[in-house]
Amino acid sequence: MSIEKQVDSGRRGLLVATCAAGGVVGVATAGALVSTFQPSERAKAAGAPVEVDIADVAPGEMKVVEWRGKPVWILRRTPAMMATLTKGEGELADPASDEIFQLPMPEYCKNPQRARKEHPEVLVTVGICSHLGCSPSSRLAAGPQPNLPNDWPGGFLCPCHGSTFDLSARVFKNKPAPTNMDVPPYMYLSDTRLVIGKDEKGEA
Amino acid sequence: MGAYEETKLPADAPASAKALAWVDDRFPLSKLWNDQWGKYYAPKNFNVWYLFGSLSMLVLVLQIVTGIFLTMHYKPDAALAFGSVEYIMREVPWGWLVRYMHSTGASAFFIVVYLHMARSLMYGSYRKPRELIWLFGFAIFLCLMAEAFFGYLLPWGQMSYWGAQVIVNLFGAIPVIGPDLSEWIRGDYVVSDATLNRFFAFHVIALPLVILGLVAAHLIALHEVGSNNPDGIEVKQHLGEDGHPLDAIPSHPYYTTKDLFGVSVFLLLFSAVVFFAPEMGGYFLEYNNFLPADSMKTPPHIAPTWYFTPFYSVLRATTADFMYVVMAAVAAMVVFVWLKSKLAYRTKVAIAVIGIVLIVGMLPQVLDAKFWGVVLFGSSVVILAFLPWLDHSPARSLRYRPSWHSYLYIVFALVFVTLGYLGTQLPTPAFTIISQVCTLAYFAFFLLMPWWSTMGTFKPLPTRLTFTPH
Amino acid sequence: MKVFAKKLIAVLALAPGLAFAAEGGYPLDRAPERNDLASLQNGAKIFVNYCLNCHSASAMRYNRLRDLGLSEEQIKNNLLFSADKVGAMMTTAMRPDDARAWFGAVPPDLSVIARAKSSPAGSGADYLYTYLRTFYKDDTRPTGWNNMVVPNVAMPHAMWQQQGIRAAKFTDQPDPHEPGKTVHAFAGFEQVEPGTMSAQDFDTATADLVAYLSWMAEPAQHTRKRLGVVVLIFLSIFSFLAWRLNESYWKQVK
Repeated sequence: MSIEKQVDSGRRGLLVATCAAGGVVGVATAGALVSTFQPSERAKAAGAPVEVDIADVAPGEMKVVEWRGKPVWILRRTPAMMATLTKGEGELADPASDEIFQLPMPEYCKNPQRARKEHPEVLVTVGICSHLGCSPSSRLAAGPQPNLPNDWPGGFLCPCHGSTFDLSARVFKNKPAPTNMDVPPYMYLSDTRLVIGKDEKGEA
Repeated sequence: MGAYEETKLPADAPASAKALAWVDDRFPLSKLWNDQWGKYYAPKNFNVWYLFGSLSMLVLVLQIVTGIFLTMHYKPDAALAFGSVEYIMREVPWGWLVRYMHSTGASAFFIVVYLHMARSLMYGSYRKPRELIWLFGFAIFLCLMAEAFFGYLLPWGQMSYWGAQVIVNLFGAIPVIGPDLSEWIRGDYVVSDATLNRFFAFHVIALPLVILGLVAAHLIALHEVGSNNPDGIEVKQHLGEDGHPLDAIPSHPYYTTKDLFGVSVFLLLFSAVVFFAPEMGGYFLEYNNFLPADSMKTPPHIAPTWYFTPFYSVLRATTADFMYVVMAAVAAMVVFVWLKSKLAYRTKVAIAVIGIVLIVGMLPQVLDAKFWGVVLFGSSVVILAFLPWLDHSPARSLRYRPSWHSYLYIVFALVFVTLGYLGTQLPTPAFTIISQVCTLAYFAFFLLMPWWSTMGTFKPLPTRLTFTPH
Repeated sequence: MKVFAKKLIAVLALAPGLAFAAEGGYPLDRAPERNDLASLQNGAKIFVNYCLNCHSASAMRYNRLRDLGLSEEQIKNNLLFSADKVGAMMTTAMRPDDARAWFGAVPPDLSVIARAKSSPAGSGADYLYTYLRTFYKDDTRPTGWNNMVVPNVAMPHAMWQQQGIRAAKFTDQPDPHEPGKTVHAFAGFEQVEPGTMSAQDFDTATADLVAYLSWMAEPAQHTRKRLGVVVLIFLSIFSFLAWRLNESYWKQVK
């Protein structure tokens, strides 16, 4: 739809200027409209950090809280459970947690326990399988069980497609799930209280 | 069409030209562009009154786009609706801007459409052969009023609720079927969540589809006969060698740039309102609508939104006392038709019979003023549709009519504005009298038009368009 | 018809006077302009301390107070009364049924009250400013308080300790419209017991509160106006360019 007319330079200049200005109007309006898609204050408030009291979580027990609409597991491991973490690392797909699922791996959790040094026995992980998003079931007891190998150290089994994870929520080799489960940023407010979604660097 | 023949361009033609040729062989893209705009020849003497058609289209697009984005966050539930609007205003990024654009756009739509209709009145754009354009336009106006009415319930404020309650109850005035009809429209005994949900469906998808279809029909009808112009003469009488009217110019680029200028000024005024006066003194966003709907408490002063008030005034003016005046006016009209019109005898008898039936029906014992109020309210809108057949002036445009015709149109405009203003105010006895006088004047303007439009000394029509070069 | 004609003539003769027919009601004072952040912060403080006990502002999120120059810590430590998270809405713990039993009416939500109370008599801010300063002692009312702007209001004087207790004086005057009748006319307030604030300080505090309520009714208003200036300047330039572009084509049309 081009204009096939003799266009003098003054007119061409005006055309360019008007089109440019019109483009700015269009982009500004479109920008404002598209921005309305972004999370609203309500969504952001619902995604705020969650404080959890863990005094009632005995060794070997697990608590589940909600953060950003997802289940977060807080598992206090027994010394026997802790011992299994460094033994069977040959069976794990990514023992050092080099790959991530959705959340960046906090530096302070890059260890076999995937926990902060204040309480290495406490695991905080987002209980969502990295395959297609189901929440795995607990299989904390060690030893042979249906659908699990004979040398099962204890961990989690995802009922949807059979992925298994150890007691640090690290995925075993040759399973549908490609990566370990996420560890959210978290920090201790006291010995018995932690906040999920926030650490020294600020809020997630 | 015959066998498919591919358009062959020389090998060194630009890729864009080849792409266009590929499409044109399969879809009349260039033809559509040229027929509808690019080479649509329009009279060259369009003045500012001719901007409002394209501005109407701009506002329609604006309302649809902002409406879509509002629908992403609005909740059509009686318990959630009011809160969801405040959610949009406060919590959705740029939500306040989308909301204000939509609320200002609703009022802007009516301002632009009323001015668009005024142009048609001034220049006789509804006259033969353009009656169908006018009728499609009238249908668009009806749908626009319904669209605004349904949309106004959605914020679920006090005015939303009680305005809907009153207007739906108007249907209850229809004899025999009225109350059942009102209940059917509402989906409940009073305006409620059921009403809100269905009005949401009408407002968001049903009516917009109908309006878009009618706008397409409106434009197709226009392009079939060609545009009128401020002189009211047909430009197709004088064709040039190229087959196009001598006094017409292609819409592109001339009316593209002119409309672009019109759009820029409109956006300037529109933005001034959106950013500095979105409430517009309570006319664009009613103060009472910032109170959540309360079915137990009626606000002391319910008024419809400003664009409905002229017709609302007619409804309120129709009191029991006024019915006697209306009966006399009907009788006078019948007598006038018998004495003055050149209609066939049988038609005159039919008119007399209808007149007598109406007068009997207006007796207080037969049908009450509430019913006739609704009838007059509806008639004040519907009478617009009859304009092409009421206007018998030998000159289409006011420019070539006797000067006193122009004054009459100005008086009509003042009557319309007065009725509108009175509709926003509480009905005092004095205001009621004034609105009754204005109602009579309003209907007289139309119903007596077959006579007064032929009276007076008309100026000679020019053969060619009057145009002052820039 | 004759009656109609007589009425018509009478009305037309009186028409000029009708334009100024008063709507009745207590005349509203103009709310002072208090747009600086310090006043708005003070208004927020008064609001959460005196209003949020009974009223809610359920569209207002506590952390939006950041727009008034407060940090989240400041909000959490000084203003977070009815919730435990700064991202929560300003709700009240009072249940509607209890409110109705105690006061006879449910205290309305105040999120957009400053926009709802505008009228031809004055802006919403003017209404609230006048309303909050015209409570007076009335032993015939269940709460012991009455109000000039909203007669027989169900709300007690929330800030009576600051303003003190005032009584309203009424005199009986002859009715200008109907001779032989008297009208109960308001003749001013008298201070029965002093409050902790002087009258001027109380007015200032109320102005701050009303300014906060006006801000809370539309927190985006400051952004809206600032952006509006930019938009209008830009569109003026655009209109100028569009005008010149149009002229450059139309000068060819003879």
